[in-house]
Amino acid sequence: MGNTLEEHIKRTRQLLECGEVAMVIGYERGSVENRRRATFVKEVSELERMVLDGLCCENLANYLVREELLRSFDGKKVAIFLTTAGVRSVNILAAEGQINPDCVIILGFEAEKPGELDSAIKMLDGEHVDHYADSIQQLKSRGFVNDRAQVIVKLEMMSAEERFAFWREQFSRCVKCYACRQVCPMCYCRRCIVDCNQPQWINASAHDLGNLEWNLVRAFHLAGRCVGCGNCEQACPAGIPLMLLNQRMAQEVLKEFNHFAGESSTQLPVLADFKKDDPETFIL
Amino acid sequence: MTKEFEPKIVAFVCTYCTYAGADLAGTSRLKYAPNVRIVKLPCTGRISPMFILKALQKGADGVLISGCHPGDCHFTSGNLHARRRWTVFRSLLNFVGIPDERIWVSWISAAEGNKFAEIINEMTEKLKTLGPFEPYKTLIRDIESPAEI
Amino acid sequence: MAQILEKNKLDEMIARLNGDGCEVFGPRKNDTSSWYGKISRAEEFCFDQILPDRPLKELFFPRTEPMMKYEIKKQQVDAENYVLPKKQRVIFGARPCDAVSLTIDDALFAWDACDEFWFERRENSVIVSIACNKKDDFCMCTSLKSSPDVSTGSDVLLHELVDSAGWRVSAITPAGQDFIDKLGDVFSTTSTDVSVKPPAEVPVKFDLDAVIRKLNSPEIFESDFWKTISVRCVGCGVCTFVCPTCHCFDIQDEGDVYHGVRRKNWDSCSFAMFTRHASGHNPRPDQASRWRQRIMHKFNYYLERFGQISCTGCGRCSRVCPVDMGVTQTLVTLSTNGGK
Ligand code: SF4
Ligand code: SF4
Ligand code: SF4
Ligand code: SF4
Repeated sequence: MGNTLEEHIKRTRQLLECGEVAMVIGYERGSVENRRRATFVKEVSELERMVLDGLCCENLANYLVREELLRSFDGKKVAIFLTTAGVRSVNILAAEGQINPDCVIILGFEAEKPGELDSAIKMLDGEHVDHYADSIQQLKSRGFVNDRAQVIVKLEMMSAEERFAFWREQFSRCVKCYACRQVCPMCYCRRCIVDCNQPQWINASAHDLGNLEWNLVRAFHLAGRCVGCGNCEQACPAGIPLMLLNQRMAQEVLKEFNHFAGESSTQLPVLADFKKDDPETFIL
Repeated sequence: MTKEFEPKIVAFVCTYCTYAGADLAGTSRLKYAPNVRIVKLPCTGRISPMFILKALQKGADGVLISGCHPGDCHFTSGNLHARRRWTVFRSLLNFVGIPDERIWVSWISAAEGNKFAEIINEMTEKLKTLGPFEPYKTLIRDIESPAEI
Repeated sequence: MAQILEKNKLDEMIARLNGDGCEVFGPRKNDTSSWYGKISRAEEFCFDQILPDRPLKELFFPRTEPMMKYEIKKQQVDAENYVLPKKQRVIFGARPCDAVSLTIDDALFAWDACDEFWFERRENSVIVSIACNKKDDFCMCTSLKSSPDVSTGSDVLLHELVDSAGWRVSAITPAGQDFIDKLGDVFSTTSTDVSVKPPAEVPVKFDLDAVIRKLNSPEIFESDFWKTISVRCVGCGVCTFVCPTCHCFDIQDEGDVYHGVRRKNWDSCSFAMFTRHASGHNPRPDQASRWRQRIMHKFNYYLERFGQISCTGCGRCSRVCPVDMGVTQTLVTLSTNGGK
């Protein structure tokens, strides 16, 4: 059990008062009763609008790489409310050279029952990503035991044709709004591959082929980088089970390469790395 | 009379090993199935998953990715990076129903003209038994079909 | 005297319409989303949702649509236009706000060139709307000076009976009267007046005139207000894609040099790519300027050009925004003190 919420708030106040941080990224009440949303606090007087409860599920790390906000950081540090998944995304952004982890002050928390208003909130110790190494290791050793893993097993037991039909139906609803990309902290490319047309690798239209291609590319680019925060699935207006793809990929890299995304701020991306004895049973 | 199905195979190969191997197969006058179109790249490390998607999009029934054996890469580690990439990408494809049997990966050195010919033949046979990649072809056809509403 | 359509007559209605070569569309739903789709049996209708996640525009302006097929040969270029199926359709169970959206976009699609894809489908469709007697926190038709039982854009308007067994039927347009006449005895007639459920009470959230005035003021365009209000926006296109009146599209040639299809695809002013020039310069360089465009377009430019506001108050944009934005809060702020 770590700090209490009051201590987090006290700390935020301190950081703002001494001018160590340019901004605190946290949560505030949303437009309706059961919604929480990101808030950006620059003045002590604004602190009172911050809230923290079980409804605060969005991974705010996404905002650390938004250009417009970056400018306003002005070289100073930022403090940000993050769950362990969020901390892992900071690790990845640091490892990939997108942010300096020393400039991010973490206010860690974890909801016992994410998504439920009255969920108990546990505050986590550690202001720097490196302080989270142990808890991330614990997560890693736990592996992927959840309902989703069972759905994945069920899908894998189907024939290839059945799986193809399943995903075709799912992807047929995609409207190519790219919300899944925009809300993902790891999708920070200034120009996404789907927005390139010289050459145009995949179809830009939202027909079934274009949708399949887009979803393959997204899942592949997040393979070994996705921290499972759920921002994408939450954002998808078509209700496509994107987390199934993400988790399947995470399971793959864990099994084959013992890679768990966002373990540390110096971890090489799984596909930018190799070992001499990586498995290659499938290669002829 | 119905003609036997002839699968279309696209092979993405590195220029230093597999392409040289294919060349050797040719100069040694080895017979191999004419179903393959070879695309030569500097290194297996340069073969992007986008290429595979493009090949499928253009109607390939199977794709082969081939390069130097581990340790022989002209750029030291291109093939070792590629190895991971195909582990992950093939499992993704498989998960959405694009079966492993259609995406082959091999190491073929410049000296292995035989192996090249064998793999192409084996792959062609396998794809013949699998038949055309219908689910994907339906997607491709649907692009050109007129609006239903 | 009133005409009644009983809910247990829906299958008969569908059969009769199909028999006349007319397709039926309506609100549908599955575990993860809801939309206006083709209906072949009455049980496929889903009337007990506030409104489908996806807007009615999809049936007139699909998210991707082939326009032309081309084939370039040695000596000649072949191009073939796609023709629409030209089927008569009834859209049964549209929400009144969605029906309004069609009339809003009519102005745009008839502007300089007439968009045949849109108008052919418009001409082939009869819109039968059901007045809303339920609403949620996001509904704001009344703020747009519309109402849950507005008849604009509908050919027929239905009001649910108090006993929920059916609807009272009112023809709004000649096409609507025609629809009723053709179906004849699918409807029953009562000699007495019937009681229908009252329309939903949708609170007014802001003063539209104040918003319009504010957007007309010279200082608003350069105001910092846009930065503050849009700070959370991540620039996904969700709000524009679910908006029943957002109509921007991109024309894309798909295929290769020799063979391909020209398509019309939805596009969105929220995307950074929307205005990016080939040089790399982007006249709308940040999310704030894109958000300003979305609001100005709907509540100022469109009004100026076509005399209408390009928003029906359906609330979809606020309902689905992954970061809880949407137009509502912006409009509320503009109508009070924001944007100074
Ligand atoms: S892919 Fe989805 S779940 Fe994974 S990190 Fe990105 S937003 Fe989170
Ligand atoms: S968020 Fe959903 S609908 Fe939008 S592009 Fe991603 S998968 Fe498609
Ligand atoms: S307002 Fe919301 S839905 Fe619209 S582009 Fe911004 S983040 Fe996406
Ligand atoms: S701007 Fe929002 S409320 Fe207005 S019509 Fe569009 S989606 Fe509905």
